Amino acid sequence: MVSTVTNTDVKQKDVDQAVVVAVTFAAVFEPETEDGSSIYRLGVALPLVQVLQRVNERLLEKNPAEHQLFDVILITTESWQQQQNSSIINSTRHHGLEVGRFCFSTEEDYIESLMQNNVQLFLTTDGNEALQATQQGVPSALLDTNWVSCPSEQLRVLFCEKAIFQLNMGSTEASKKSAQNFLAHLGQMKQKFGVFDSPLCFTLVTSHGGKDNCCCALKSLRSLGVSVDEAYCLGGAPRGPILSLLRPHFLLSDGFSLLEG
Amino acid sequence: MSEIKPEDKTATDKNEEEQDWEAAKAFFESLKTKAPRPPKPQNAVTIAVSSRTLFNMVAERKIFVDEGVEKYVAFQVEHESDPLKPGPAFPFVKALMNVNTRLRNLYPDSEELFDIVLMTNNHAQVGVRLINSINHYGLTIERFCMTGGKSPIGYLKAYMTNLYLSKSADKVTEAIEEGIAAATMFMSRQESDLSDTQLRVAFDGDAVLFSDESEIIVKKHGLDTFFEHEKKFENKPLAQGPLKCFLEALGKLQRKFYAKNERLNCPIRTFLVTARSAASSGARVLKTLRSWGLEIDEALFLAGAPKGPLLQKIRPHIFFDDQMFHIEGANELGTISAHVPYGIGQKYNKGKLIEEPKKEE
Repeated sequence: MVSTVTNTDVKQKDVDQAVVVAVTFAAVFEPETEDGSSIYRLGVALPLVQVLQRVNERLLEKNPAEHQLFDVILITTESWQQQQNSSIINSTRHHGLEVGRFCFSTEEDYIESLMQNNVQLFLTTDGNEALQATQQGVPSALLDTNWVSCPSEQLRVLFCEKAIFQLNMGSTEASKKSAQNFLAHLGQMKQKFGVFDSPLCFTLVTSHGGKDNCCCALKSLRSLGVSVDEAYCLGGAPRGPILSLLRPHFLLSDGFSLLEG
Repeated sequence: MSEIKPEDKTATDKNEEEQDWEAAKAFFESLKTKAPRPPKPQNAVTIAVSSRTLFNMVAERKIFVDEGVEKYVAFQVEHESDPLKPGPAFPFVKALMNVNTRLRNLYPDSEELFDIVLMTNNHAQVGVRLINSINHYGLTIERFCMTGGKSPIGYLKAYMTNLYLSKSADKVTEAIEEGIAAATMFMSRQESDLSDTQLRVAFDGDAVLFSDESEIIVKKHGLDTFFEHEKKFENKPLAQGPLKCFLEALGKLQRKFYAKNERLNCPIRTFLVTARSAASSGARVLKTLRSWGLEIDEALFLAGAPKGPLLQKIRPHIFFDDQMFHIEGANELGTISAHVPYGIGQKYNKGKLIEEPKKEE
């Protein structure tokens, strides 16, 4: 049974215009509480949540009446987490995280919850969760614990041909459409800033194809309104060293296979 | 082929790398154009060139400097389909491609080739024009990094770069400090007739192939002390300089031609052009090269004579020197030169110590 609770500490975002990003409990918090209390310790996704907040702040600086902001919701994906609802709410408030609402769901119904809340991007540290959500049409990205925890003033999004988890599935029409929608939002947010000193940084990395392949991807993204800042065409060279320099917050690919030429 | 050692990898990393590699191989093999597949970085001699060395972007640079980055990017995007004109590294790149063709003919399965990577600070949107220009001239550059303003040094290391050419002295200095052979390129003032069948590379000796230890002696104690010192230590090899490894990489490729009886027809030729004189200080240089197991095709000892006229005869695709004085001399007479900002020579201009401005506290 899914329940959604509003976080009254945080100003609610506009239902129509906000870009809803759901992050799992397991990404935001450690599974254990701090000694002697019911407050959960912060996990790997803290810098990500903070940088989403930072983007919102910069957008509001440009236009105090801005509605196209990130609306972060925290979602539980396991029963035991669902049962810890009060502790989770308290912990979020305690740490002052800008989480607009909570979705308390289990492994059975979290995807339904994502859809009900009009989630445009689902972020998780669990490969299976990301896979299942994508298959049901919710654009998802797997957070890599190596890089997601780097503090940053800039949200770094990486577009690539394949994400960390090995996916061998075709994307549905529905997921393609949602992916395009999300990208359009990202592109619009970025356009509000100049080339220099933007809180959003988009990077394209192509591993397998040649330069023309990469060039096509650049242009495809551009046609969706996404202006890429950095591009790396690897032509078969190992990705690891490059990715460790780029330190993206998340990678977008499989739901976004519209990039493949 | 590079001195840069890759970091220790886990089994999963290696597995993923192999998969990436196989996928790239499959991609290139399926291309109708049969464009050759880029080699694995650890097997190749990787040459990284910046956009301003590959192409002439003087006019565009002016827009960047005068009107700012937004106008610059907009201009480049507007002119995306207009190919850029060749820059100082262009003939060098074409010569590298020619060597690759010859190597592929002799060793069809080998990955010991030149791999040319475009390493630019430019924004990815400008990249479209760069890629279009690369295609216009049919250059085989399949890898690139457009860092959108970030320093390229980390990426140079990731690609195990053997040589980095840029117009920015700062980036080149940083690369040298990190142990990567690098040089700042200068366009020559005249058109020059360069070979299209043989790659010709000229190197200065001290502070380029060798360390600046001897140059320090000249600057501090004068020529006579220098000659005595060099004679005394004739049999002690000099320490290596920033471009020694690049010469070594060229030598490895040359030997592949010799192995197939192509010595007389070798498409790579190297030159040493040094202000040292053969009699008094030349022996040490030759002995050092021998001790390193390196060959250089022609060694020219000028005994202080200007390098410009000689280089004009040699017509190299690139000439490396650590002193701006020689670079300028070479440039004036039509040689494409590259400055190696290393060693004590940077503190001097035409033999005089450059006064450092007093640092503010």
